[in-house]
Amino acid sequence: MTVVMVGAATVLPSNPTLAELATPAHRVPGPADPGAHITLRGLRYKDHATRLALAAAQVALVDARMWDGDRLTVDGNRVAVVVSSNYGNADTVCRAVETIARESTAGTSPMDLPNTSSNVVASSVAIRFGLRGANVMLCNGLTSGLDALFWARMLVRTGRAAQVLAVGVEPDNAVVRRLTGDENVLDGAAAVVVEHPATARERRVPARARYAAYERAAGVDQCLSRLARHASAPAAWYAPEPSAAGTDVLTGLRRHDLARVWGQASGALGVLQCAAAVGHFDGGGAGPVYLVNGGAPERVTAGVVLDAPGAVG
Amino acid sequence: MSWSITGTGAVASVGANVNEIFDNLCAGLSGRRPLQVFDRSRYTSPFAYEMDDRGEESGDVPGRATRWLLAAVEQAAREADLGDDLSGVPVIVGSGLREHRSMELWHRTGVPFDGERLHFGAALQDRFGVTEAYCVANACAASLYALALGADLLAEGGAPAVIVAGVDMVTESMFGLVERMNPVPPQEVRPFDRQRRGAVMGEAAVAVVLRPADSPYQGRARATLRGVGVNCDAFHVTAPSAEGIAAAIRQAHEQAGIKPESVDLVMLHGTGTLLNDAAEASAMQEVFGAHVSTPVMTAIKSMTGHTSGASGLLGLIVAARALAEGRIPPTLGLTEPIDEVAGFRFPFGQSLHRQVDVAQVNAFGFGGVNAVAIVEAVR
Repeated sequence: MTVVMVGAATVLPSNPTLAELATPAHRVPGPADPGAHITLRGLRYKDHATRLALAAAQVALVDARMWDGDRLTVDGNRVAVVVSSNYGNADTVCRAVETIARESTAGTSPMDLPNTSSNVVASSVAIRFGLRGANVMLCNGLTSGLDALFWARMLVRTGRAAQVLAVGVEPDNAVVRRLTGDENVLDGAAAVVVEHPATARERRVPARARYAAYERAAGVDQCLSRLARHASAPAAWYAPEPSAAGTDVLTGLRRHDLARVWGQASGALGVLQCAAAVGHFDGGGAGPVYLVNGGAPERVTAGVVLDAPGAVG
Repeated sequence: MSWSITGTGAVASVGANVNEIFDNLCAGLSGRRPLQVFDRSRYTSPFAYEMDDRGEESGDVPGRATRWLLAAVEQAAREADLGDDLSGVPVIVGSGLREHRSMELWHRTGVPFDGERLHFGAALQDRFGVTEAYCVANACAASLYALALGADLLAEGGAPAVIVAGVDMVTESMFGLVERMNPVPPQEVRPFDRQRRGAVMGEAAVAVVLRPADSPYQGRARATLRGVGVNCDAFHVTAPSAEGIAAAIRQAHEQAGIKPESVDLVMLHGTGTLLNDAAEASAMQEVFGAHVSTPVMTAIKSMTGHTSGASGLLGLIVAARALAEGRIPPTLGLTEPIDEVAGFRFPFGQSLHRQVDVAQVNAFGFGGVNAVAIVEAVR
């Protein structure tokens, strides 16, 4: 049994369409603005990563015809959430220890407590939209975004959920830049909705991409050769972070470097790639495509094969 | 579908392996000590349930949570005859705070720290050759959530075994902000007691090896996992919901194919906070109804402290031993139970000897993430 993508969204600087993600007409520098997509009322104490994720989640749920503006149109008990982020709350944690060292715990704000917990993004998404199914916060390094898609599929396959909202988010701030050693880091979120093709048909929601395979291996080469067992002639591939190995692989194949365009995307990259692939298929683009994350030499690389929604398989 | 637990491993403030931990808990030994690792002048809370393994170092050192996780995984893998080469074995780690403590030290003191070390994957690859590691940061329900995902992964086929682990240590940010929320600093964890004042953090790493129950593996199973229910209250970022907790318990019973009256032992989440204990007790009353006095219930955070994301799996390995040995650790410090636990049967003060066949393990976390596991004795 496979699963399909039935909704996709991004919240990025300059608000590109899905089709523009790989080759934006222009990129406005500076932070992404969740307020361009949702009302920020009631979100005063939410951190930036949470606001970005809430905005991407809402646009994706609308796109998947699960949210009609102020309520869910499907059973919230059957909707799961998988959020991928490595550095979502790194700045909150670091700011808290600075304050404690300077002023003792009396100087801290109780409003920071929920934001100190790494799963604040995933639970905030559930609370905002009433999503009571499994709620998974995945913090799995460079492969985390594609791992989130893998677990989203698993939650549908095992029957724990009818639909899964998968979100990838990373904020740009001084702590993240120092942790990654990179001045060019993503500020933004991407979200996709994963569903069983049968329930999507029942809801009369079109499939936009088909999940075909997932592999993990040590190193880019080994991961690519495993992906080739599932689909030997990809039409394009979405490459890992520019710092990763593998710049000389799959030469001749159309390559999309989203992290070069939007900055080092860490736990958001896989979901961002998936949203871009949905845009590719929406525009009539051919499949299959490879999504690849990770890629540091000898380190674990993850790969996903996505196919056009009408492809047989 | 059910799963055999073929190996267990753990380190905590009350012991350096599963035997020690279980014996000490049954003896009513607490891991509570004066706060060791942090500068005490910054905090009003004087105690924690720490593992202070810094040796001769003054001040804290990075990487301790990772070290504990590797120790627990090594114990479990060896017990399950997997050895030290885990290249084909997926490892799912539940951790509320990951390596946040190392990040805090990096930020404060400038010790080197790589952001890719926040999630344990690189360490598991270096030590055991693991290429399929996942870190689930589901607050205090993290390790039982990881257990649900691990069981699902095995049910889908592919791997002969899966390792599920949980690890958490006391971080300055969480310890400090939890303290900030308590009007009076709690001296100890007193689950379900009228005098409870809040949670006090503890430290632990736990690992279990799961195999499909029908696998050809011939080794000894410690217990059988029957099902794990997971959900989200979708209610509040820190406050629990009795309704959401009850739904998770019902889901676990349904997955395991049991009724409440079949449960002989419940390892309660029991954090000793006003809200958690009241919500958990109400949910148990609602689900168990007339059968609420059937199982023995206990809350080991009274001795281990609140071990955050590791706590659910710590409860599970204690339950597995209780199922095998017929010994149930007491709930320490519980002298005046709250009204909400009327009818609950706790072992007060000392351990209880009683054969139990089916155990339920509760774990709930910030954000209303709930996970409940059902385990059964192997006879």
